[in-house]
Amino acid sequence: MAVSQEKITVYNLADLKNTSDDAIPNYLNSLKFRQSHRLTDVRLALGYSAFALAAACFAWDYKLGFESTKYFTAAAVAAYTLLNGALTFWMLYVERGTVYMGTAPSGETLRISTSTKKNVPTYFVTVEVEGKDGKKEVLKISRAFTEWFDAAGHFVAAPFQTMLASSLPVIGKLDPKRAAAPKEDGAAEATYTPEMLDVLAKANVSVVGSAAEEATGSEAAGGKKGGKRRKA
Amino acid sequence: MMSSLQNPRQAAAQLMNFGLILSTAFMMWKGLSVITDSPSPIVVVLSGSMEPAFQRGDLLLLWNRNLFSETNVGEIVVYNVKGKDIPIVHRVVRKFGTGPDAKLLTKGDNNAADDTELYARGQDYLNRKDIVGSVIGYMPFVGYVTIMLSEHPWLKTVMLGLMGLVVVLQRE
Repeated sequence: MAVSQEKITVYNLADLKNTSDDAIPNYLNSLKFRQSHRLTDVRLALGYSAFALAAACFAWDYKLGFESTKYFTAAAVAAYTLLNGALTFWMLYVERGTVYMGTAPSGETLRISTSTKKNVPTYFVTVEVEGKDGKKEVLKISRAFTEWFDAAGHFVAAPFQTMLASSLPVIGKLDPKRAAAPKEDGAAEATYTPEMLDVLAKANVSVVGSAAEEATGSEAAGGKKGGKRRKA
Repeated sequence: MMSSLQNPRQAAAQLMNFGLILSTAFMMWKGLSVITDSPSPIVVVLSGSMEPAFQRGDLLLLWNRNLFSETNVGEIVVYNVKGKDIPIVHRVVRKFGTGPDAKLLTKGDNNAADDTELYARGQDYLNRKDIVGSVIGYMPFVGYVTIMLSEHPWLKTVMLGLMGLVVVLQRE
């Protein structure tokens, strides 16, 4: 997942967000986080049971006609409304844009939700970390998408992972290489110039393997060559 | 887009969104059916037999409950005839008797004769149960879309295909 072969349209905010969202589980699971699918599974269960109810309603209405089944239909409509309401409630107030829930090997639980604002190319990440002792901590990160998308629309994993690892100690501990990268945090934008991202993209296309193993080339910041060379 | 196919949960969620759009539309229709007590609470006028009241393509909202009064002479009703699929919108012009056994005769405002010709063979009048509902509201011309769709069935396929494509390709 170093650099996606797929290109997205850089002007499409939904594409930017979705591609970034998809990269989070990939990265964290590669760091031995154990992902929890509870939120998604409940949503799917609610949605599909509502759909099944509607399908059943359609079937009996089709087979037996309206008049003989109208009390069942009325009950089904009420139940469907409830299920759909529960689904909406779940998505709005429980999931709240959560894209990842998981447990670190060390025991902390992590919950990452992301959002974007219309016409603002910024990725807003909210991370809730719950320690083993039950202490909760909320971190908010907002970064420009340009940091990890090159001009052509390729997703570049390294800076994205650096963004997560350097801002979140839980992840940083498991991926010290990424976490160490931009200690000079003020220069975060300067670390990856658009040209470098393009070069990184080209260099990484052929590289297959765990993202964490790849050289970042960011500490060196040695221009274009630095990005190409693989550092041990 | 392709990456979503590798993740079964995401694929399931996308499929669910598409399914929920269809099922919600269906359940809203059924909800309206239940409220109005009519198997088909919204119909489209297909002929000009009720001009100048209704033109071809008008959308009618029906009500099939006799809460305060029975269906009376002067009301415009939609009825089904045994053996014919197409519901007919005409006005009640005669009524004999009361209650569920009342005999009703209908006629199109723009027709020269009453509807005995349109009824099933041997049928001279309608019963209350033949009626799908009385017209309580209408929206001019909107229903022309469905006339187009039923007269050119390929349009349906095109529309469904486009809708499905949009939902599958877009995640929001």
